[in-house]
Amino acid sequence: MADHSSHDPLAGLRFDRVPPSGTYGADGEPGVTVTIPETPFIALVVARNGFAESVTGRLGRAFGLEVADRTGAAIGAAATVVGTGPGRFLVLSKTEPDLAGTLRALLGSEAAVSEQDDAYVTFDLAGEKTPDLLAKGALIDIDPRVFLPGDAATTVIAHIGVTLWRVDEATWRLLVARSLEASFTRFLIASGAAFGLRLENGTAGRG
Amino acid sequence: MSATNRNRLSAGGLIDRNQTRGFSFDGTRHRGYAGDTLASALLANGVRLVGRSFKYHRPRGIFSAGAEEPNALVELRTGARREPNTRATVTELYDGLEATSQNRWPSLALDALSLNRFLAPFLGAGFYYKTFMWPAAFWEKVYEPIIRRAAGLGRAALEEDPDHYEKATAFCDVLVIGAGPAGLMAALTAARSGARVILADEDFLPGGGLNAEAGDVDRQPAPAFAAGIAAELASLPNVRVMTRTSVFGVYDGGTYGALERVSDHLAVPAPFQPRQRLWRIVARRAVLAAGATERPIVFGGNDRPGVMLAGAVGTYVQRHAVLPGRNIALFANNDGAWRDMLAAQAAGAHVETIVDVRAEVAPELIAAAQAKGIRVLKGAQVIATHGRTLRSLEVATASGTERIAADTLAVSGGWSPCVHLTCHHGGKPAWNEDIAAFVPGTCPPGLSVAGAAKGILGLGACLRDGAETGAESARALGFTVPAHEVPEVADAAFALTPFWHVEGSKGAAFVDLQNDVTAKDVGIAHKEGFRSVELLKRYTTLGMATDQGRTSNVTGLAIMASLTGASIPETGTTIFRPPYTPVSMGALAGHHRGKDFRPVRLTPTHEWARAQGAVFIETGAWLRAQYFPRAGEKDWLETVTREVTAVRASVGLIDVSTFGKIDLQGRDVGAFLDRVYINGFAALAVGKARYGVMLREDGLVMDDGTTARLSPEHYVMTTTTANAAKVFQHLEFCLQVLWPELDVALSSISEQWAQIAIAGPRARDVLARVADGDVSNAALPFMGAVEGTVMDGVKARLFRLSFSGELGFEIAVPARHGAALAQALMQAGETFGITPYGIEALGVMRIEKGHVSGSELSGQTTAGDLGFGRMASTKKDYIGRTMAARPGLADPDRPAFVGFRPVDLSRRLRAGAHFLNRGAAPETANDQGYMTSVAYSPHLGHWIGLGLITRGPERLGERVRAYDPVRGEEIEVEICAPGFIDPEGVRLRG
Amino acid sequence: MRIPCPYCGERDAHEFSYLGDATLTRPDPAAADAEQAFHDYVYLRDNPAGAHEEWWYHANGCRQWLRVTRDTRTHAISGAAPARKSGEPA
Repeated sequence: MADHSSHDPLAGLRFDRVPPSGTYGADGEPGVTVTIPETPFIALVVARNGFAESVTGRLGRAFGLEVADRTGAAIGAAATVVGTGPGRFLVLSKTEPDLAGTLRALLGSEAAVSEQDDAYVTFDLAGEKTPDLLAKGALIDIDPRVFLPGDAATTVIAHIGVTLWRVDEATWRLLVARSLEASFTRFLIASGAAFGLRLENGTAGRG
Repeated sequence: MSATNRNRLSAGGLIDRNQTRGFSFDGTRHRGYAGDTLASALLANGVRLVGRSFKYHRPRGIFSAGAEEPNALVELRTGARREPNTRATVTELYDGLEATSQNRWPSLALDALSLNRFLAPFLGAGFYYKTFMWPAAFWEKVYEPIIRRAAGLGRAALEEDPDHYEKATAFCDVLVIGAGPAGLMAALTAARSGARVILADEDFLPGGGLNAEAGDVDRQPAPAFAAGIAAELASLPNVRVMTRTSVFGVYDGGTYGALERVSDHLAVPAPFQPRQRLWRIVARRAVLAAGATERPIVFGGNDRPGVMLAGAVGTYVQRHAVLPGRNIALFANNDGAWRDMLAAQAAGAHVETIVDVRAEVAPELIAAAQAKGIRVLKGAQVIATHGRTLRSLEVATASGTERIAADTLAVSGGWSPCVHLTCHHGGKPAWNEDIAAFVPGTCPPGLSVAGAAKGILGLGACLRDGAETGAESARALGFTVPAHEVPEVADAAFALTPFWHVEGSKGAAFVDLQNDVTAKDVGIAHKEGFRSVELLKRYTTLGMATDQGRTSNVTGLAIMASLTGASIPETGTTIFRPPYTPVSMGALAGHHRGKDFRPVRLTPTHEWARAQGAVFIETGAWLRAQYFPRAGEKDWLETVTREVTAVRASVGLIDVSTFGKIDLQGRDVGAFLDRVYINGFAALAVGKARYGVMLREDGLVMDDGTTARLSPEHYVMTTTTANAAKVFQHLEFCLQVLWPELDVALSSISEQWAQIAIAGPRARDVLARVADGDVSNAALPFMGAVEGTVMDGVKARLFRLSFSGELGFEIAVPARHGAALAQALMQAGETFGITPYGIEALGVMRIEKGHVSGSELSGQTTAGDLGFGRMASTKKDYIGRTMAARPGLADPDRPAFVGFRPVDLSRRLRAGAHFLNRGAAPETANDQGYMTSVAYSPHLGHWIGLGLITRGPERLGERVRAYDPVRGEEIEVEICAPGFIDPEGVRLRG
Repeated sequence: MRIPCPYCGERDAHEFSYLGDATLTRPDPAAADAEQAFHDYVYLRDNPAGAHEEWWYHANGCRQWLRVTRDTRTHAISGAAPARKSGEPA
């Protein structure tokens, strides 16, 4: 737990360990809640030469989503497909344990598929102050009147590469490289303390 | 102790008399009110002497009421929060504020170094360059300590800053800089069009000049009008009003830098609030409405406490209800200053005399002044001042010289528009004769200027211009601007006769009060040939330091112009660069300080390694286990030696997840690898890995690593830890730019896979207990690469690779299983005494084996230098091939890679030592190369080294000297083949 | 500086890394004058005052190599195009 007397929400926390679950910063109802949802299955699809359009279409039909070859998140019950570059999609699913295998079967030689289930830590940020917190690290326009549900970006927050999208009115989802979980969590705590930040990452501190 | 608030008017002002603010200055306690600045509160309490000047330690008072303040710099706060050179005029008063005067000893009233005044003849322009010339040896011992003690103003805190700082980014359609009359109207019209608007002002109260305005605007007092508009703006969802925020720089692409002083107005930041926040504001359009700065007239004794800008007198009277003095005189060359005095008089100030350099002044002004009992002296000049703080003036009139009593002299030489931000892209201000001032020239793209900042003087005109500029900016972005009404304010004509300097006045006449630059100094610079404006600045220091010459640049130029006979625009102007006002280092760093300086990457086994007692070291962004000390080991060398010995004798493990891992899929991967590696990959069999070396196009080595073929169209490449991002970028360049026709898809899989290396004669025995399949030599031969499972079904990739020279494997599992794999390997190897080792032991073993690493892949070595010459294919083209054949890179005399051992085996080798032939003098011309890596070899029992030496491979057995002038060492070494252990590779193939 | 990435939209230059002149073509290594041509390709650069085409890599974004047109005098960026179309040979 943070040492409130110093007003430094990171006081007493090792820099090389993921900070533990708890409430950080200002008292009262937290302005931002950060949860680490059960890691969904993740795969990266990269269309091979000449197949971007076909791959886009197949992904949409397979998951019942409107997938386009652009930055954006197509969110559905079976899967979420996030464009991260031309012909590149991150596919997330809670229900497909062999997601990469399913995608390989679906796309055959039209795309390169790689497992990425363990490459990312997923952060769900909710609460009125989420855009204000993100604006302390992001260099893109995350004004909620501009960055709408379904919008996505692959960008950098506090010098850490992030793919993020707005899931719904209240929730923003961020994928952060696993090795950077501790540093990114520290940024969230330092920047969210003024609003009060509740962190639920199911840990008493890990690295 | 002064009578509390004795100079405070009984009514009026924008202060809250119900909220007192206790503060202290130089230990004396005073009281002010909410709404005060430190300067206004000091004046209210009769404190007129607030500091000593920079060079001559002359007594100084409060000169202005804003960011332009050259004199009233104080040390604010104490202890770790102590902050030097804080301008009292922009320091918002808070309860418990502690301020201390600067640059005085032993006390403000009695300052020992004010002696410097008598040394003034020696401290004039260019004195640094003239005085401290020789002897050169005096610099370090004599001159520098003296200068350091005498110069500079405040003292910075010596402890770590206890506060935290933030950075943030905001986007808008229209950024309005300055919330004075023009800025408020610009923001309002733009906001009503629906545009996203940010209004930023450095003050804590929006309104700018309106807050010092005596008259009504829109049938209400001017400050109330300002407050009304600010309130409307704050209520709009598309507007962000940022007070206490200085926009300090205009950068490319509509990016603006701004500093928000979140907590500077508090003794200590509120819980979890930053002290300051640095904003990056990206604006499609911007309106600069920064107003104008009044400038003084230069005359003898113009630095005496009590001499103050006329507009500042007006501000203290109107806004803070403070009388800067009991008996005010004005010295001016323009009508505006007269009106300020008349208004001040109406508010309760006593203005006794107006001295105007002009022979003719508008009769209605004279009538108004005389009606109030003010004596008017036309065609007159102040030629001297008297008193410790001001008591009287000497005025030269047509009829002679007379002495006039005054404790405050308001001065006005006209107004200079705040054009600073318009110059940040190199735009030069233009001279405007009508107001005798520089006005904006070419502005940065998207930036418009409104109101006084563009040279419009007059409240009504500023309101109209602000509204119109705001509307234009919104319209330019496609917004529809509703009709807007602008309050009518009748502006009186603004008459000004340019006047800069009272020649022949008595005593030092200061041009730049902050740097103690006098009119005489400008004369010296002129006489000595430093006439261009840039040289004038460097030679005299005019316009430097915190105020950047806000009140002095134009006057200095004008005096130089009169000396050269050129016009002011011919003489030039100083180009302003960011930042407009000082920005603290803390704000520039934000969250990224201390251990958060940059993100740290942790390996999947980090916690496991910590539990094993690892000592960690930063390698690039990664934190890796350096070694694993055990109780009783006396130093790192003992630990590392134990780890190496354990691996060579039995088995050890190390996390190598930090290597870059790139997934390559497609029909053309083999062909692609052939083009990026010097050696052939097209023939690599499925299930095998190969070591490869990559060059840059200039022929030098970029990186090395292994690439394995998992299936006909699927490969995985590893890169060094340091070059992971660089290699990925390079490969993308090759595919997207050079050879887009190749069917290769790249994916980074560095984060997905944890990778652990096990090495040593028992490595296979350990792996066999963890792997689910066959790992025999037949199933997984040297350089084999297979996909399989470990730990009862965890997906894995197994590689038979060795960096240590021992039988070795690398096992990759999905990252979440990394720590479990380490534990499983420890358990499986328990009977063999399996030992976790760190990158120190890894380094020792690779040096023993003679492998190149970061020290050899220095960006200056060729494949040939490193002994890879024969690996390079002659049957294909690859990146860097043509350039590597250049004579300079193919020169057989180039230092080439070999090993070294000390002739006296008890001696220690040093990396960085340079090689000299026996008998050669230690000169650059005799340099034969240098030692790149050294280690104590537990295997051999002495130090060994790797290095680059001219024609090394031809000189095996020769003795040379390793010369290390940094440590003062020189030892004899013998050149040997790199590869101190098992050069035939029996171990790793076993 | 802000670079209009065709995929990601306008982004701060911090997200990109710079390479240099985008008007150069890698020479034919089999040509008779390959050595001279490569020398020019690697080392010789025009230094125009004005419009310049240069390679920028969107490292913290879509990972595309972009051909950016920038005025070297003003940093004004008039356009950015991907080195190759999405997944297609150029």
